[in-house]
Amino acid sequence: MPGLFDEPFEDVPRPRDETAPVRARRRVLTVSDVTAEIRTALESGFGELWIEGEISNCRVWNTGHVYFTLKDPTAQLKAVMFRTAYRYLKFKIEDGLHVVARGRLSVYEPKGEYQLVCEHLEPHGRGALQLAFEQLKRKLHAEGLFAADRKRPIPALPRKIGIVTSLDGAALRDILKILSRRHPNAHIVVRPVRVQGEGAAEDIAKALKAIASVPGVDVIIVGRGGGSIEDLWAFNEESLARTIAACPVPVISAVGHEVDVTIADFVADLRAPTPSAAAEMVVTAKEEFHARIDRLHGRLQAAMRSDVQRRRNVLHVLTSRRGLAGWHVRVAMQGRHVSELTHGLRRATTALIARRAREHQARAARLEARDVRRGLAAIRARLAAAETRLHVVAGRAHERAAARFTALAGRLDTLSPLAVLARGYAVCWTEDRTAIIRQASAVAPGDLVRVTLHEGEIDCEVRSAHGSDH
Amino acid sequence: MDPTIKDFESASAELEAIVKKMEEGDLTLEKALELYERGVQLSRFCHAKLEEAERRLEILNERGELRPAHAAMGLTPSDESGKAR
Repeated sequence: MPGLFDEPFEDVPRPRDETAPVRARRRVLTVSDVTAEIRTALESGFGELWIEGEISNCRVWNTGHVYFTLKDPTAQLKAVMFRTAYRYLKFKIEDGLHVVARGRLSVYEPKGEYQLVCEHLEPHGRGALQLAFEQLKRKLHAEGLFAADRKRPIPALPRKIGIVTSLDGAALRDILKILSRRHPNAHIVVRPVRVQGEGAAEDIAKALKAIASVPGVDVIIVGRGGGSIEDLWAFNEESLARTIAACPVPVISAVGHEVDVTIADFVADLRAPTPSAAAEMVVTAKEEFHARIDRLHGRLQAAMRSDVQRRRNVLHVLTSRRGLAGWHVRVAMQGRHVSELTHGLRRATTALIARRAREHQARAARLEARDVRRGLAAIRARLAAAETRLHVVAGRAHERAAARFTALAGRLDTLSPLAVLARGYAVCWTEDRTAIIRQASAVAPGDLVRVTLHEGEIDCEVRSAHGSDH
Repeated sequence: MDPTIKDFESASAELEAIVKKMEEGDLTLEKALELYERGVQLSRFCHAKLEEAERRLEILNERGELRPAHAAMGLTPSDESGKAR
């Protein structure tokens, strides 16, 4: 930088002029004075500079100012970027970043250091926005904000669909067109918002929060039509990304065209390539739903029908087996068996009593014949007791048999010949009631006969008898 | 409507589960009938739900007020193109 130090400063005397005899002419400067003059010289002498270099030792102070060093292989330059300028930077200053810095040289007087006061930084070889995008993407990805398991499902049939976009844009028009075609009775809530320009990201975030709190809104489409990267920039801002991630309602991002990818797309629960596509994603066509339910209903009915048919088959197989075939015949046979048993029982009981009585008589006869005097009384008593017991036992056995018989007879009543009497028939006996008279020839006039009726009997005298077959 | 049926989503999911279960068979007659009945209810619910909502377009303004779109945007609800101004 020639010229700067060659030119004599107006108010500075030549310090090297040793020959000057007058000491009073010597001007002694303070450190501050000279520093101030250096500073003035630097600031006015260099003006605005563009400097290319790599960032190192970068530190953000809590004042918001950023200090760093710009370096190349052989030299270093201290630099500062004040908060007021740094605020407008889209990307973050990082060590190792190759940049072009715009600024002015100045002196930090307390330390006597010269430094570059940086007003603007640009990444070298690529756009600042591109870099900012990559930086934020890396950061949020590291935080897990893009993780697949954070994505919530979009409801199949949303109650209300929230839309956050510009009222003037093509996006809204496209979305509404598709929605009304696919699901004519959808309920839509639109929250108009500015989608580009300074502060747009914050506005969109605010709109998202507002629409998420509308009762019934269970999915939100946020987006805009196509544009330059600057136009779409709001959707790459960290504040909006975080709002989308924290949104209590699933969010579908729909920004620009298919090729435009924004940070919002990564954090959203679903990314739609275009606003129209978002509308198609958010509602399955109503007709498709009807068809789906119809198919399920059809399958339900088919399943029920086949279930019933299966049971019918099983029943058919069971009833056609020997076990159940002709069950009614078997029931009838069982009835006959019961009546046979009853007869048998009656006969057996009578025989038992008779046998016991005979045994008893035989024993009594034997006892008497032996003429046992000693203990005769006791034996007699035992005998009497045995006799009583026998009677009791036999009686009980008979009673039980009789009770069972009565019960069975009651059931078999309809089969009993006596039941016929109730219908008006009568039975004619010989007088001593030992035989039933079946032919007229069995009696002669003057014989006495007995007639059993349904209720009671009558004694009769035969006046005449007529053979039926003679 | 049946209070045990929450929304379209859960109803169609339950219907699907019931159909699967019935198709697998192996149920008692009582259970099969019970499921069938429930399935019919669910499918009716779903059809009804699809027709239930009426088309509405509302604008949520800066003050948090909901306004019908045609009043807020100068659109009619039948304006298919959603004409922007």
